Amino acid sequence: MNCDDARPLIHGHLDGELDLVRDLEVERHIDECPRCTREYAALRAMRSRLKEEEFRFAAPLELKEKIRRALPAPQPSRGNAYPARRGSWVARAVRFAVPMAIGAMLALVIIPRGFGPNANQRVAGEVVASHVRSLMAGHLLDVVSTDQHTVKPWFNGKLDFSPPVTDFAKDGFPLVGGRLDYIEGRPVSALVYQHGKHVINVFMWPAAGDETSAERIKTEHGYHVEQLVVAGMNCWVVSDLNPQELDKFAGLLRTKG
Amino acid sequence: MPDETKAVDFDRTFLPHMDAAYNLARWLVRDDHDAQDVVQEAYLRAVRFAGGFRGGDPCAWILSIVRNTAYTWLRRNRGSESSPEFDEKLHGGSTEECGLEADAVRKADGAMIRAALDELPGEFREVIVMRDIEGLSYKEIADAADVPIGTVMSRLARARGKLALSLKDRIAKEG
Repeated sequence: MNCDDARPLIHGHLDGELDLVRDLEVERHIDECPRCTREYAALRAMRSRLKEEEFRFAAPLELKEKIRRALPAPQPSRGNAYPARRGSWVARAVRFAVPMAIGAMLALVIIPRGFGPNANQRVAGEVVASHVRSLMAGHLLDVVSTDQHTVKPWFNGKLDFSPPVTDFAKDGFPLVGGRLDYIEGRPVSALVYQHGKHVINVFMWPAAGDETSAERIKTEHGYHVEQLVVAGMNCWVVSDLNPQELDKFAGLLRTKG
Repeated sequence: MPDETKAVDFDRTFLPHMDAAYNLARWLVRDDHDAQDVVQEAYLRAVRFAGGFRGGDPCAWILSIVRNTAYTWLRRNRGSESSPEFDEKLHGGSTEECGLEADAVRKADGAMIRAALDELPGEFREVIVMRDIEGLSYKEIADAADVPIGTVMSRLARARGKLALSLKDRIAKEG
């Protein structure tokens, strides 16, 4: 393989998208050719720079809330909310969205009880829905504090149990607060941790006794869910964090929580 | 209740990808406020077309709608912008050696990299955003951009080549 053949393929090699044979050929060429070695190093550096957070624009919270609101119960004030040029199809979309939204609300109430292959999957679905809601509805925190000694007493009187609250800031997972939530038909504590720009929700309620620490990671529509039992509490951890990092967090919860 | 089931799935399937949707829109229209309009418009369209979602990757699906919405928006509001349907041959080249040093890239100012990416034609900018920033696979990009996988790789090669050249020029000017 010469430079002309290799150069377009270097990108597929960089991205791990080549078939094995060609991948090895490109790799061999890069090893032998100083110019392609240099080129490849520059491309790798460029790609790793682009992975930095500063190049990724996160959706503003108000946009997420706006979309969330627009989906279940859209009520556009005629012509004001949107410039006229966009009016027509928005109106059509809205007419379509209203029955869909009502259906969605009904389904949220009815489906999780009726269907669901097993209880764990149903709970996983519920914690993911709660996690998503907590990020969207602007209701992430009832008590904002990085101090575990503020967060823990806050739950007193609001729950019939006292959840263990530990700050893992030293390990890169600072506690940001807590909130009351509702899972499996009972009030539960939700502790909120942060890792980089990712939010982690930890839902806790007393284990009934028959739960064991399953520690299995499930993926529900892009979110990862992990379940474990810590100090007699049934803990469900959910985040968009990658499974390895989430696993690390679950480990902290298990050992220090 | 087939419709209701679909509606529940919409929330859980597509709402988690709002950050990816916004990131792509923001890079395509290059304005915070306009990007918000585009993403909102895209999600309303997505609700309408959700029945047409036949499994596959939900992120790629929503991005394809964001992308179409963004290009429609650009044509309507900034007529001069390039359209995604462009002549591959005219935009060829750029897989030449760029001569950029890895060290220079590592030291480059973030604003400079952003400016270089911002100035790439949309069809090149979008593949870099989807692959390098958003981490989509070639297959997912092919689905989102509605082009064959082979085109994704050749476009990405040219896009990165152009970005490297532009970055090299900028670094030379600054130094």
